[in-house]
Amino acid sequence: MSVEIKLSRSNRTYRPDEPLQGNIITKLPASISHRGIQLTVNGSVNLQVRGGSAGLIESLYGVLKPIPIVKKSIEVQPSGKIGAGTTQIPFSVILKNQGEEHKFYETFHGANISIQYLLNVDVVRGYLHKALSATVEFIIESDLASLPEKPVSPEMVFFYITQDTQRHSLLTELKSGGFKISGRICTQCLLSDPLVGELTVEASAVPIYSIDIHLLRIESIMVGEKIATETSIIQTTQIADGDVCRTMSLPIYVVLPRLLTCPTVFAGPFSIEFKVTIIVTFQTELYNVQPKSDPRAFRKWVAMESLPLELVQSN
Amino acid sequence: MEFKVRDYKAEESVHSLTRVPVSSHPLCSSPSLSSSDKQDHGNIEFFDPLRGLSMEILEPADDMTVAEKHSASQPTSHLSAKEWASFNKLLMQRFPVPKMISVSTLSSKTIRGSKAVGKPVNMQSDELNDSQKLTEEGFKIVSQQEYITRLHELKDEIMRSWHSDDRVTSLKLSIKVARLLMDTSVAQFYPSLFVLATDIMDMLGDMVWERIRQKAEFADDGTMICSLPDDFDSNNICLEAKETCSNWFRKISSIHELLPRIYLELAIFPCWRFLHDHVGDSLMRLVMMIRGIADPLASAYCRFFLLHCAQKLPHCDTGHLITCINDLKVVLTRIVSMKETTFGNFLGDRRLLVSLMEPTIEYTMRCVFKDPNQVADMIVRLGLGKNPLEFYGKVPWISVILHHLLRELPTEVVCSNAVEILHLVECSGDCSFDQCLNYKMLGLKLCEGISQVKAVDAVIDEVIQVATRRKSLDEYLKILDAYMDIVLQYKMDRYLSSILSEIFERLCNEVVTEAQLASLQSIALKLVTHFDDMKYVLDLKYFVDILDVMHGSSRSIVNMHILTNATRNDRIDDPTTVKLLFDVAQSLHDSVDFPSTRQDDNQQAERLIARFIDKVDHGKELDRHLTFLIECRGAFNNMNGLKEILVHSSNLLATRALREKKDHINFIKSCITFNEVTIPCIPSYSRQLILYLETAEVSLFGGLISHSDGLLDSAIGCLQNVYLVDGLRKSNEDADGIVSLTQKLCSFMLLVPGNWEQGVTYIPKSILSLLDSQSWMTPKLRIRVLCSLLSLSATFAQNDLPYHAIHEEVFSNDRLFFGHAMYSQELASLSSAVLNNMVDIIPQEPSQAARGKLALEACNCIASFFKVDHEISSVCSKLVEMAISCLGVDNKYLQSTINFVHKQSPISFGGE
Repeated sequence: MSVEIKLSRSNRTYRPDEPLQGNIITKLPASISHRGIQLTVNGSVNLQVRGGSAGLIESLYGVLKPIPIVKKSIEVQPSGKIGAGTTQIPFSVILKNQGEEHKFYETFHGANISIQYLLNVDVVRGYLHKALSATVEFIIESDLASLPEKPVSPEMVFFYITQDTQRHSLLTELKSGGFKISGRICTQCLLSDPLVGELTVEASAVPIYSIDIHLLRIESIMVGEKIATETSIIQTTQIADGDVCRTMSLPIYVVLPRLLTCPTVFAGPFSIEFKVTIIVTFQTELYNVQPKSDPRAFRKWVAMESLPLELVQSN
Repeated sequence: MEFKVRDYKAEESVHSLTRVPVSSHPLCSSPSLSSSDKQDHGNIEFFDPLRGLSMEILEPADDMTVAEKHSASQPTSHLSAKEWASFNKLLMQRFPVPKMISVSTLSSKTIRGSKAVGKPVNMQSDELNDSQKLTEEGFKIVSQQEYITRLHELKDEIMRSWHSDDRVTSLKLSIKVARLLMDTSVAQFYPSLFVLATDIMDMLGDMVWERIRQKAEFADDGTMICSLPDDFDSNNICLEAKETCSNWFRKISSIHELLPRIYLELAIFPCWRFLHDHVGDSLMRLVMMIRGIADPLASAYCRFFLLHCAQKLPHCDTGHLITCINDLKVVLTRIVSMKETTFGNFLGDRRLLVSLMEPTIEYTMRCVFKDPNQVADMIVRLGLGKNPLEFYGKVPWISVILHHLLRELPTEVVCSNAVEILHLVECSGDCSFDQCLNYKMLGLKLCEGISQVKAVDAVIDEVIQVATRRKSLDEYLKILDAYMDIVLQYKMDRYLSSILSEIFERLCNEVVTEAQLASLQSIALKLVTHFDDMKYVLDLKYFVDILDVMHGSSRSIVNMHILTNATRNDRIDDPTTVKLLFDVAQSLHDSVDFPSTRQDDNQQAERLIARFIDKVDHGKELDRHLTFLIECRGAFNNMNGLKEILVHSSNLLATRALREKKDHINFIKSCITFNEVTIPCIPSYSRQLILYLETAEVSLFGGLISHSDGLLDSAIGCLQNVYLVDGLRKSNEDADGIVSLTQKLCSFMLLVPGNWEQGVTYIPKSILSLLDSQSWMTPKLRIRVLCSLLSLSATFAQNDLPYHAIHEEVFSNDRLFFGHAMYSQELASLSSAVLNNMVDIIPQEPSQAARGKLALEACNCIASFFKVDHEISSVCSKLVEMAISCLGVDNKYLQSTINFVHKQSPISFGGE
């Protein structure tokens, strides 16, 4: 005895102005009577502040009150009966009514912020019977209409990484030997497209161990008067393994992971931003000596460059 | 018992066919016809299939188009699939793999940790702990077998989980396999590892391709959406399939490490076609991404895999090839210029590293020049067309790349740009490849298209300068060897003599090594085969001196070629050439190690010397020729076959003297004496027998009766010994041969004047007595000998012998003993002895049928030589009875024999 929801799209992705369609599928050994089949759409921004990044008092709040985006209920069928075996009940839900100026944030699963849309079905039965229910998550992408104009050309930013651009202390041999890594990278990027750019090791006295691209998210939550911000790594992509040849251009090519990324959002109570960091690790004996530590800690044998990354929904 | 009287002349005229005179020889065609034949031959152009260029180039092009069409539907069955497989096979065999392999700790986990596969928890921690690699340096030792077995296990696991719809696990395991390729510390095992790992990658790629195609062609419920043509358009792919496809690429792009990410994307690379139509851009991106792999070995093999995957695409641009080569150049330039330190994870030395990378370079070059229509384009894009002066000193080409480039470049291109390419070779003298071998390769290529070479003089001039600058003789020879054909073909005599003198000069200062010998041999052979006239070659300054420095099998081979070529002419009559060739032959003879060499080599050398002796001609100076033969006997005393030839030659000489010279008796005597000395040196008695007979004949014709008698004595002596010594290995055939020789001896006896002192029938009697002592003589053979003895005595009994010796001083028995009673008596006693012998011997034949036949043979023989009187007819009937008891009355041979005997006999004959 079960009920499930099968959405019309296999990737479960919809835009707010599109009807959310699909089938409710019941599989029953015998026919049952019910008091109506109800569908509920529930979208909200869930916020959470973990200790450490916010103050002590704020951390007491723990989970903040979620910010609702949408809540809708419709009755698909009034009271009646569902026959035995497999039954498909089609449905269509309008998410956003015409003229409604309501912001549908895009689905996002972060560390502290998660924007989630759920579709729930309830088959309500008599007092003696438990209601049958099922829930699926569906994914919201921005309306075509609400999209900003597509950037004409992806904005490329040039960067240089040398011993002098580093804000943390470096090993003496790095300081004295010097290095220069230059390149360019897109700082405005369509979600559907890979993050592209290129990078060239122009010089480095110390052999290079690895060059990695870190994709980071910055989640900020307004807690009272303060803003709690947390930066975390979404994905690391190596683009150079070992002491690569000098003056050869290496491509930067990072496919943005779905769900873990969304268009950059600045809302009142929260914001989601992204950042890309180029990490150059040099070969050193110290690897074996030092214990493993937080990858974000500034290590002496690492040079880096961080650039903000604006993510944009594509059409 | 009386012999039949014969009139040979009358018999001849009765039995011989009537003769008709003709005007022309029936076997000889008219002279005009034969000359036109020859012209026809001249017009037919000889086509060497191994060198056929224009034809061969076209063929693979056709193949390619066919295969390409096929490839669109099934990425596995493309043109290069076979080539790839065979190349891989070679790759695994090329590098000997030690039994134990040192493996970095990280990959040893994959190899050893077979249980981790089942536990997803472990897997995740594995993936998270990327930095583990940094902390756990060091190596572990794994046996090669263990490693390979583990890879096969992994392949099975990937397939199993795929088929149980656990594609995530399949992917994860494949990533593990790809990660193994990061570890180049396995050194010689890396190519094998690559082959095994890419096999798994290909398998995964095929499975993904099939799955997505399935999605594109069939809906969820199994209904067909469309059937994809080979060259489908990405617009025709349904969203569902596209979604699945891009999910695969997303998953793969989330792999942290660069190398496994590239390998996995390459594995499923053809799937890009489901998403968009311009896959070339993605391919270029991957080529660039490979630059991020600093380990030269890993990056070389990664490019190798990329080329393989690129060939699965239906229409592939060639841009990636050019970039690959340019990147390779950068990597190799770095290796070449670096001091001997470590190269990435690679621990071995530079030479090993380059040799491990070489197959990938070879494959790349093969891909570059695969399409003959694009050769010109490729040359331009590789920058070959540029003025070589532009990058003088900049090391534009790495020698190992240049080597494979040269190998693949079409011959006509090489030939028409010889000077430019020569400069390229000159500029790339780095340690990645022996520059000499590049010069050599260029030379060989030029020789391939020898008639198309441009600016020959400039090229050869340059090459000689380059070679002369080389200190090592070995290198000097190696380079020049390759250009020898050109020097010869274009008749650059000046260069030739300077080369030879340079070689000789250098040879004087060095001990010749094996490698140098091989080059010298090659050069010498080119000279020998190029010139028709060996006199010219031998007269070349220093050629003989260089030859003298050579030794061993190289020398023998050159000697053999010289002799082969020299004896191609009709006759060799120039005394100096004879002398030089004699020295060559002697050195060939001396180089053969008689007891141990293989029979074939030995025989070939012998045959060649024999041919040489045969072709030497001193014209009218017969004495000189005899002296030559004596010299030969001294020089080639280890070759027994040759001695026979010498005896034959000397006999021929004697015969010529007989015909040509007036005052010849002494010369013939010396020839005969030469033979008398030479023959006993030949070990085989049957051979001796032949030669004794031949010489006896010659001496008889020369009127030297005493010599001939002596020689016949020796022949009889041979006959006595023949079986004792030639012994056990005699087959029936040899026995037959000896019997034939005995018969020949009998017929020769007719010519020889009888000797009273010894007895006129001395020799036939010795033969007769010999028969009993020779146990190997079967009754059948004895009967044959006896028959001829009978025939001999019957002929001796005639008043006029059928033939005589053609010498005025040699009188035959018919003249010497005409009507002599003693003579007839001796003949009669001989014949009766023979007769008795016959009757006694026949019953000894074990086989019944054979016995019967023998009896009839004897009977026929007797009946034809004797007048059939009582005595004879009783002997005949005895034999006929014997035959009847063996063969039965109805036998046809028996019947005809009885008839024949009846006809001969005036009185009644038979058992009745």
